[in-house]
Amino acid sequence: MKVSIISLTCCAGCVSSFLNAGDALLEILAEDFDIVYSPTFVDLKEVPEVDLAIVEGGVRTEADEKLIREVRAKSRVLVALGICATHGGITSLGNLTSVKKLLEKEYFLPASSRLPALEDLMYPICNFVDVDYYIPGCPPMPFLIVHSLKSIVSGKAPIRHQSVVCMECHRKIIPAKLDRLYGIYEKEANHEICLVSQGFVCLGSLTREGCGAPCPRANFTCFGCRGPADSLLYRSRDIYSFLIKVISIRTGISEEKVKEELHRNPFIFHTFIFSRFERFKARERVI
Amino acid sequence: MSQRNEITISPTTRIEGHGKVTITLDDSGNVSDAYFYATEIRGFDYFLRGMEAERLPFIISRICGVCSTAHIIASVKAIESIFETEITETAEKLRELLLMGQIISNHSLVFFFLTLPDFWFSPEEDPSKRNIFQIMREKPEIGKKAIALRSFGTRILDVIGKREVHIVSVIPGGLINPFTEREQNELLKSAENACAITTEALNLGKELFEKNWPDFRKAGDYKTAYMALTKDDAMEFYGGRIRVIDYTGKALSEYDAQDYMEHVEERRYEWTYAKFAFLKALGWPKGIVQVGPIARMNVNKRVTTKLANKELEEFKRKFGSPAYATLLFDYARLIDLTYACERARELLEDESITRTDTRVQVKPKAGTGVGVVEAPRGTLAHEYVLTKNGQLKNMKLIIPTQVNNAAINLNVKDAAMEFIHQGEIKPGLLNRIEMVIRAYDPCVKCATRQANENLTVEIRNNKGKLLRILGSLS
Repeated sequence: MKVSIISLTCCAGCVSSFLNAGDALLEILAEDFDIVYSPTFVDLKEVPEVDLAIVEGGVRTEADEKLIREVRAKSRVLVALGICATHGGITSLGNLTSVKKLLEKEYFLPASSRLPALEDLMYPICNFVDVDYYIPGCPPMPFLIVHSLKSIVSGKAPIRHQSVVCMECHRKIIPAKLDRLYGIYEKEANHEICLVSQGFVCLGSLTREGCGAPCPRANFTCFGCRGPADSLLYRSRDIYSFLIKVISIRTGISEEKVKEELHRNPFIFHTFIFSRFERFKARERVI
Repeated sequence: MSQRNEITISPTTRIEGHGKVTITLDDSGNVSDAYFYATEIRGFDYFLRGMEAERLPFIISRICGVCSTAHIIASVKAIESIFETEITETAEKLRELLLMGQIISNHSLVFFFLTLPDFWFSPEEDPSKRNIFQIMREKPEIGKKAIALRSFGTRILDVIGKREVHIVSVIPGGLINPFTEREQNELLKSAENACAITTEALNLGKELFEKNWPDFRKAGDYKTAYMALTKDDAMEFYGGRIRVIDYTGKALSEYDAQDYMEHVEERRYEWTYAKFAFLKALGWPKGIVQVGPIARMNVNKRVTTKLANKELEEFKRKFGSPAYATLLFDYARLIDLTYACERARELLEDESITRTDTRVQVKPKAGTGVGVVEAPRGTLAHEYVLTKNGQLKNMKLIIPTQVNNAAINLNVKDAAMEFIHQGEIKPGLLNRIEMVIRAYDPCVKCATRQANENLTVEIRNNKGKLLRILGSLS
C-alpha cells in the first residue's frame, strides 16, 4: 500500500507522536505500508497517487488549500490526523482576533512577496475536501494512531471512541461545596477526587475519550484536545452551557457565578474552536 | 536585455517544517543570490495576548511538536522570573532530565531519519530511495536501534512529563508530580542500552563523515560568531549563563539569561515569514551569529561527562575551535547526543531525584521576564510581559532557527556558488544544498509560528521567468 504523509499548517507534533509508537511503528512499517511521499522523511517533491494519505495540520494559507485539494484528488483514503486537521486546532485561536488583519498591520503584506497569502481564517481540512477518517488529538496518542492505521491498512473500520474522557479517568465525582474556581497552580489537587469537584476547570466531561486520560492522571486538567464527544457533536451551541452545568453541579457554585468566572478566561475552549463547525457532521468517521 | 535565472527547491525535504529555496543566476549563469525562506504563518505572538500565565506554557508548546518540552521549560522559567519563584533542586534536576529526554528523542530522529540517508547513499542516488525506510529495508537492525534510542528519550518525557509530545507536568513553581523510585528503576534499565546505541551511532556517523569529509567541507563554511549556554566553561542546557564568541574564538560577552533581549535584536525581510536575529552590539550584518550543536562545541571548553568530553576534545583537535564547516553540525549533534545519554544516566542514578519536594507555590505579579534553555537546535528565549492580573500583555520569542536564519541563507548561497557554474547544474546539486539546510536541523514551524512556511526551489531566467520548480508548492 502506497502511503503519503502531508503536513499543512501545524506543529508537526502528530507525526512526532506517530514516530513515538516504538515497536508498533516497526511492525506497521514491516507490513504493506510504503511511505512514498513525506517532505519530512522522503525526497520526492511531487505529490504522488497513493492508497492512503495521512494529513496533519489545517488550512491557514492558500498554499495549504491548493495542496490539500491536490492530495485528495490523488488519494484513495484520506485520514485527518490531529486536532488541527480535524477541527482547526490551536491556530484557530487566531480566528478570535483575525490574525490576518493583525499581521497585515504589524508584520507586512505578503501579497507583495513570494509568500502564499493567508486565508481569512484557520480551517480544518474538511472545509475543502472529503475526509474518510478523523483522528483528533493534540497530538493523538501513539497507540491510537497506530491501531487506527493498522485497521485502515487491512481494510477494516477502526474502533471508534464515542464517550467522554471521564470514562477513562478513575477519579471519584462528588458534589462539593466550593465558593470559587481555581487555577491549576493555585493549589495542589487531590489524586482521588474529580478535578472539577475540586474547583479546577477540567474539560473531560465534554471531550472524546480514546487517549487514556493522561492529563487528569497527572493531576492536570483535561483541556479538550480530542474535540467534543459524539453526544455533543450535533449540539455545538450547547457545549458552553453544558460545561457550566457540569461545573455547577460538581462544585456547588451557581451557574451564573461559573459563567462569570469562565468569562474571564476566553482561552478555556482553545481546542474547541471549530471554524465552520456546521460542516463537521460525519461523526461516524471520528475515531 | 540581460537574462535572469532562478532555481527553486520546493518543498525542501527531510527537515522539520516547510521551507523553500530560490537561487538567482546572473547573465553568465553564475549564482548571484540565494534565499532560504519560510512560507507558513500561524500568529502565536498575536493571538496569545490576554492569556492567563497559568495556561501559557502548555499552549505555547504547540508552537512546535518536535521540541515542545524545550518551549514549555523556557516558558515556565520566564514566568517564574516574573513571579520571583525559586524552584527546588529536585525540580531543577527533573527539568534537566526532561531536556535530556528532548535532546535524545530529537537528535536520534534527526540523525537516523533526516540526515543519515545523505551519508549512507551517494548524492547521485535515486531520490526516491534516499531515505530511512530504504535503509531499514537494507539493514533492519538500524531501524530497530533508531527506534529504541528515540523511545528512551520519549519514555523520559512520558514518565516525567506525563505525555510524550506536549508534556503537562511542568508548571510555574516546579513539577506537579514527583518522580517515583519505580519509574526511576524503569528508566535506568533502558539507559544502558541507549548509551550503547549512541556510541554505535557516533562511530557510524564518524566513519561515514570521514569518508565524505573532502566533499563536505566545501559545502558552506561562512564564519560567524557563536552563542550558547555555559556553566564553568562546560556545556549546559538548563541553567548557566550565555556566552558569545567571535569567529576567531575570542569571547565577546557573557551575560545572564535575563539580559538576552538586550543582546539580541531581530530584523525581517518581506520575502520570508521567518525573522532574523543578530547580536545588537555588532549590528547587522556583522552581528550574524549561530547557535546549536556546533555553537555548543565552539563556545564550551569541556563537557562534564566522560565519553562526550573525549569526543569534544577529538572534535576540536580535528576541526579546530571554532569549527566552521556547516556539515559539522551533524557531527556535533552526535556529541550532544552522547552527552545527553550520559547526563540522563547520571541524573537517573542520583538518589535525591526521587525526593517529593518538586513544587512550590507561586505568587502571580506583573512584570517582564525571560526564560532561556538550550533547545535541540540552540539557545531558545521566551520573554513575557504580564499584567498584574497575571495575563499576557506581550511576548517576544527568539527561536534558534531565527538566529541561524542568516547563516543558513549565507551558507546556502555559498554552497550554490560552489556547485553551480555558468548555468550548469551538477547532478545531486539540489540535495547538496538541502544538506546544508538540513545540517542546521531548522525548525520552520518554530521560526514561523507567526507564519506558515513551505520550502521550495525555483529556477528562473534573468527576466524573472520561471524555468523550473523543484517541488510542489510555489
